[in-house]
Amino acid sequence: MTRLAALAVALALGSACAAPRRFPDAPILIVCPWAAGGGTDRVARQMAALLEQDLGVPVNVVNATGGEGVTGHSRGALARPDGYTLTLLTIEIATLHWRGMTSISPGDFAPVGLVNRDAAAIFVRADAPWRTLRDLEEAVRRAPRRLRASGTATAGIWHLALAGWLSSVGLGPTDVIWVSIAGSAPSLQELLAGGIDVVSCSLPEAQALLSAGRIRSLGVMADARVPQFPDVPTLKEQGVDWTLGTLRGLGAPKDTPPERVQLLAAAVRRVVEGDGYRSAMLQAGFTPAYEDPRRLASTLAEADRRLGGLLRSEAFRGLGARRLGPMFFPAVLLGALALVSLALVAAARRAPARDGAAPAAAPPGAGWRFAEVLVGIALYVALAETFGFVVTAGVLLLAHLVRLRTHPRVALPLVFVLVPASYHLFAVVLRVPLPRGLVGW
Amino acid sequence: MDALGPALSQVLDPTLLAVIVGAALYGTLFGSIPGLSATMAVALIVPLTYFLSPLAALAAVVTLEACAISAGDIPSALVRIPGTPASAAYADDLYQLAQRGQYHRALGVSITFSAIGGLFGVAVLVLFARPFASIATWFTVAEYFWLYVLGLGCAVVVSRGSALKGAFALLLGLLFSTVGLSPVHTAARFTFGRPELYQGISFIPAMVGLFGLSEVLRNVRSPWIDAATAVRPDVVSARQSIGAVFGGALGLLVRRPWASLQASAIGTLIGILPGAGADIAAWVSYGVSKRGSKTPDEYGRGSMEGLADAGAANNSALAGAWVPALTLGIPGDSITAIVLGIMMMKNLQPGPEIFDKQGALVHSLFLVFFLANLVLLPTGYLAIRASGLLMRVPRHTLLPVVVLFCVMGSYAIGGSYFDVGLMAAMGLLGFVLERGGVPVGPVVLGIILGGPLEERFVQAMTASGGSPWVFFARPSAAVLGVAAASVWLLPAMGAWRAHRRSRRGDVV
Repeated sequence: MTRLAALAVALALGSACAAPRRFPDAPILIVCPWAAGGGTDRVARQMAALLEQDLGVPVNVVNATGGEGVTGHSRGALARPDGYTLTLLTIEIATLHWRGMTSISPGDFAPVGLVNRDAAAIFVRADAPWRTLRDLEEAVRRAPRRLRASGTATAGIWHLALAGWLSSVGLGPTDVIWVSIAGSAPSLQELLAGGIDVVSCSLPEAQALLSAGRIRSLGVMADARVPQFPDVPTLKEQGVDWTLGTLRGLGAPKDTPPERVQLLAAAVRRVVEGDGYRSAMLQAGFTPAYEDPRRLASTLAEADRRLGGLLRSEAFRGLGARRLGPMFFPAVLLGALALVSLALVAAARRAPARDGAAPAAAPPGAGWRFAEVLVGIALYVALAETFGFVVTAGVLLLAHLVRLRTHPRVALPLVFVLVPASYHLFAVVLRVPLPRGLVGW
Repeated sequence: MDALGPALSQVLDPTLLAVIVGAALYGTLFGSIPGLSATMAVALIVPLTYFLSPLAALAAVVTLEACAISAGDIPSALVRIPGTPASAAYADDLYQLAQRGQYHRALGVSITFSAIGGLFGVAVLVLFARPFASIATWFTVAEYFWLYVLGLGCAVVVSRGSALKGAFALLLGLLFSTVGLSPVHTAARFTFGRPELYQGISFIPAMVGLFGLSEVLRNVRSPWIDAATAVRPDVVSARQSIGAVFGGALGLLVRRPWASLQASAIGTLIGILPGAGADIAAWVSYGVSKRGSKTPDEYGRGSMEGLADAGAANNSALAGAWVPALTLGIPGDSITAIVLGIMMMKNLQPGPEIFDKQGALVHSLFLVFFLANLVLLPTGYLAIRASGLLMRVPRHTLLPVVVLFCVMGSYAIGGSYFDVGLMAAMGLLGFVLERGGVPVGPVVLGIILGGPLEERFVQAMTASGGSPWVFFARPSAAVLGVAAASVWLLPAMGAWRAHRRSRRGDVV
């Protein structure tokens, strides 16, 4: 009975999707390696909304965060190369593998198009004594290792930017103490609170505080002044030959069929060169920029070469050396956990099962039902990517319902309504992607 | 007050009202689905705000977040899965109350106090935004370190039964938080060479597993699943009038008005701080509420007081987060970070001048804030009534569906199968822990706070060149440090004294 029903579900769904397909005819997913609400996320969602209008299929964003971009970039690179999964690449793709954090490099992506570039800039509190970058430089020279800076985690792009500036004016990259604070927003907040003296991050990230008059920018590491920030001088104007910034671009997994990449690249080009994207980006302080796949490929290769050289250079060795090693905190926790466990064991010995609340013996078959829940989830994880959410979840849900003795008269209609409805709710109404599978459902 | 007239006419614009109602429904839906957070809901509507007027765009966010956070309580009561992390502190109370046939009453309390907390937070925002904003700029990493220690202490205080077991759960959660790439060290820990472990153990799948799946696992083992009459008559009372939903809340409010004010004040204050949001506000307020309660034993077993106070705190934190966002341009939480992005897009410059330059807009926005916290009462009521029907679904039908939602909820946040597996493992862990009488709430808090706690510690030590004096060097840090230490030490001393007394009693 169960098997028959399962077969019926599979057939019904399979036949609905058997028609020949043109690309794209299903939702496209943009993997954003950074958290919801951050700069990259805002660019990704803007891009998704406009690509959706251009391509005529839903374009969703998923935030695969963690590992300083490792998670998202590797998920995107290892996705099925069918053009339905794109990644919003950031400059970290060119640094992570040099830092030994992943094997994924720019070569694992087929570039689709550059969509934005933002240069690094240096910020101090509004009441700080330094009026120009030269003042700050002199302060560091007079008293090395006194000033503290942040903007991102150690060896992140804004750290490289600051260290590169220090090197290019003849100072050591460690002459300013880098406090590893993940993210520009908490770094700027720490700057205001007086915990650090300098922040290095992009202009749009600091725009709110800049326009509120709480901080000043001493210089931007771009070739020319950024139009939305005409008062911020470049480093070049101040006699320092150093530029660095982040870039954002779309990439597909490297084995994606070239004609699909071309189609997507044309759509991205139309979006980036359109007015909607331009004005939205400019208003948010971002610098819109476009490069076609070939240019983006060479830009990424160039960034990879340059940043790799920087990260491997003598000056950058030992940047990570620190007093409190990575295992300090876990060791403290394990020690405390051992102590608490000992105390618990001692307490249990002293008062053995005082209240007699030992759980009643499980009825026959309970162990099986228990295991089936977990096996069902394991099967889902194993099969959903191939068969898609609706088929996999439908079959497993039906099996589980029948096992718990829900009458098929109830179970069958429930599965047929609930599973497609949930898929529709998540993937279409709420725009939260679920596994699509080979049949596209 | 002369600004009220034009502000009112702006707010009563039909388009704006339609946006508010739409956002309320969307937020309620989003919040009541486990795994989907309020931040995610707001991020998803950002592209839409491009087509809205500045006021309508901000109104959508305000309404959305208020409704999503309060609707997060619905799945807690229904299937013991907190809809958003802000509901985790009192999920057990809601669930236990619902199991005892008080589904409507309990959720009535939760949304009413959500509205009260929200209104309190808005009042602070309207009246004291400028003076209070500076609080957000006092906190350096040292103060945040103490704040997180304080929050963790609350988890141990609130854990039902033995504080030792609460500490055990908390340490377990803190250890889980060390899995993956450590951002301050840029070093991988406990990843065993597997790339999926780089992202670490995310708290949303962990929360769904520890609370939701563990409950399913316990239920499928119970003998009662085989019984023919799986609907327990006591769970659902026949008719639920408006009085039945809101009656309990009114009684509670009349009996203890000061407690709700205290809870809202705690929530607002924590909301103003950029490093802590609605979830921590709920934990701290719940802890404070338990310490001051005449019936602390009820906490975790179905305490209306606890859920009222924590429910008020998490919604008041939302408005609190807007205080530094509007006046300084510092986001108070992840949602206001997105809001600042929208404001930039709409050419609204945050800062002290916003009250002068954009006076009309700000006043209208304040009115929208009040409206949003009022509109969550009717939408919440409808959601409670509609979801209450699900309480009648027999267990043997409901449980597989709960598993389905656990799977969807854990996958949705990051589109990762690893998170689904993690959810299953956490479900098993939660089942084992609860059989041993160990509460699961502190595990979730440990996972949430472990990363920031370690980061702030290492950052403060880096900035000070290795001197631990940094944690007491500033007066504000010293005060917080003493407060955090007392939260940890007072219960420990109390337990020790009680222990000595009982031993002496044994001898006699």
